[in-house]
Amino acid sequence: MWGILGGSLPGLSPSIAMALLLPFTYGMDPTPAIVMLAATYVGAEYGGSIPAILIRTPGTNAAAATVVDGYAMKLQGRAGEALGISLYSGLVGGLFGLGVVVLLAQPLSTVALAFTPSAYFALGVLGLTVIASLARESLVKGLMAGAFGLMVSTVGTDPVTGLSRFTFGSPELLSGIPPILVMIGLFAIGELLAQSGERGVRHAVPERPRIRFPGPALWRRIALPQMIGSIIGTFEGMIPGGGGAVSSFLAYNEARRWSRHKEEFGHGSPEGIAAPEAANNTVACTALVPILSLGIPSSNSSAVLLGGFLLHGLIPGPMLFVSHSDVVTGLFAGLLAANIAMVIVGYLMMGPCMWLVSRPRPYLTAFIYALVVSGVYSIETSLFHVGVALAFGVVGYALRYFEVPLLPMVLGVVLGFMVESNYRRSLVLSGGDHLTFLQDRVSAGLLIAAALILLGSAAHHLVAARKRRAAGVPT
Amino acid sequence: MNRDLAFGTAGAVVAAGYYWLAASIPDSALSDAVGPQGLPIAYAAVLLLLSLILIARALRARQQESKMTFHVTRVAGMLAFGVAYIVVVPWLGYVPTLAGLICVTTWHQSGVVTRATVLVAVAGAIVFWLVFVALLGIPQPPGIWAQGS
Repeated sequence: MWGILGGSLPGLSPSIAMALLLPFTYGMDPTPAIVMLAATYVGAEYGGSIPAILIRTPGTNAAAATVVDGYAMKLQGRAGEALGISLYSGLVGGLFGLGVVVLLAQPLSTVALAFTPSAYFALGVLGLTVIASLARESLVKGLMAGAFGLMVSTVGTDPVTGLSRFTFGSPELLSGIPPILVMIGLFAIGELLAQSGERGVRHAVPERPRIRFPGPALWRRIALPQMIGSIIGTFEGMIPGGGGAVSSFLAYNEARRWSRHKEEFGHGSPEGIAAPEAANNTVACTALVPILSLGIPSSNSSAVLLGGFLLHGLIPGPMLFVSHSDVVTGLFAGLLAANIAMVIVGYLMMGPCMWLVSRPRPYLTAFIYALVVSGVYSIETSLFHVGVALAFGVVGYALRYFEVPLLPMVLGVVLGFMVESNYRRSLVLSGGDHLTFLQDRVSAGLLIAAALILLGSAAHHLVAARKRRAAGVPT
Repeated sequence: MNRDLAFGTAGAVVAAGYYWLAASIPDSALSDAVGPQGLPIAYAAVLLLLSLILIARALRARQQESKMTFHVTRVAGMLAFGVAYIVVVPWLGYVPTLAGLICVTTWHQSGVVTRATVLVAVAGAIVFWLVFVALLGIPQPPGIWAQGS
């Protein structure tokens, strides 16, 4: 419950929710303490989808991909269905990830070790290719948004030399612009500005505030995207620096590629929610692989979990399975219980959440604004950040006016630092030789995959543009 | 000016400004083969190229109407409330300022302020304080009331 609450409040990340709980674990036995932290992570990864669906504000970075189809379903009066798909897919992804951890933690740790800076750079490039498919009707505008996002990611301290870039002398910008600020600004504040500026505001179709789990027909339809999301989440979760955001976008993209209902994506597709949500919750479990087997945290949240291990005198790594096998077994059992509890608690919370968003629109808008400014301030107790979020709200509003997709910009911000820092680190290690990206097998494989995805997306856009011209639709 | 032409022009201006700032980043003895200016300059070049492509397409294409109407005063008003929050909250503190933000935003959206609006705003601000400060332990600006205590 704590995790779901922390994940659903924009600005609070899973790592903050876990860190807030850490002091309370001091007096506990190691096993329940670690289980509580891990369960918080699981709950928070799901919790981020609640505001993403209901108020177009991702609660966590990883929930950004859920905003697209989740909020569209909400506007169609299908918020209950969207929440049900999200919850069910989170359960599927969590159980899949748990199975992977239990059966394959030690063998899969070698995958984590295979990732060099070149491979990370190639992984980032692969993630960026998703921009091409997120760009929808206008590839050029989508790529421009992606370029804006990459530019935003360069603000702060240079990863190699330590020089400050684009900070204008502001100490608050030295650590860069957190991606969650950009997302909250573009999605939430941009939406608030758009709704305030439009007469005859589009109102969501009223619906009874009830969560609805998928029926048999929908189970079958979302089974493939859930599997896609789970597999992608498995590999992303165990790679240090991988994380939920990258996996959710990749899962969304692949689910669309293999879907028989591609045209529904972006307009309320159940598969567009199932894939990223399954990926998120798989990541929450498989992030344990590098911690348990190597003692290496793969994300901020798993770093807090590592802190929990150390606090209780446990040294994560290969010997943990031997010297504290009871803790490891207890952790696995606790995660199983946490995934099931997530469904129960999530179901119980949905009614009040949906009642809240069914309130009269003026009050709803005001409370969302209050939630956003409070949540953004909570990131680093900084009013400067609130100002930055407002500025991105203006950017989000402008992008809506010019009909530019928002997700490519988000991808650029999320992946920009990973791409640049690993690109330059690779060149330092290779003495400036660019062939290193092809000599590293993992890197070469990922770059080839990225090239194929780009070529496929470009061909698809050309064909679609030709069809629109033939039909007399302006491009 | 159609919206694609406007966006393309804005993109070109941003690319030019960003390039100018990137080119003025100093060199460093710790620099690698690419340097701190390398990728920013590349991003500026890519954005400029894409902007020129969009401008060229916009000049060839028919005038398009945006599906979204633009009400600058209403949007500016909403934005001003957020800016006012940032300016006022260090002085007035979290609860009173947040109550004020909820109240004025509700008025802006509905056009009326009733006693219920004020009560809901105050109650809402208190609930937010309970969740963020009391329950989660995340400090919010206390205002001048906390000074000297």
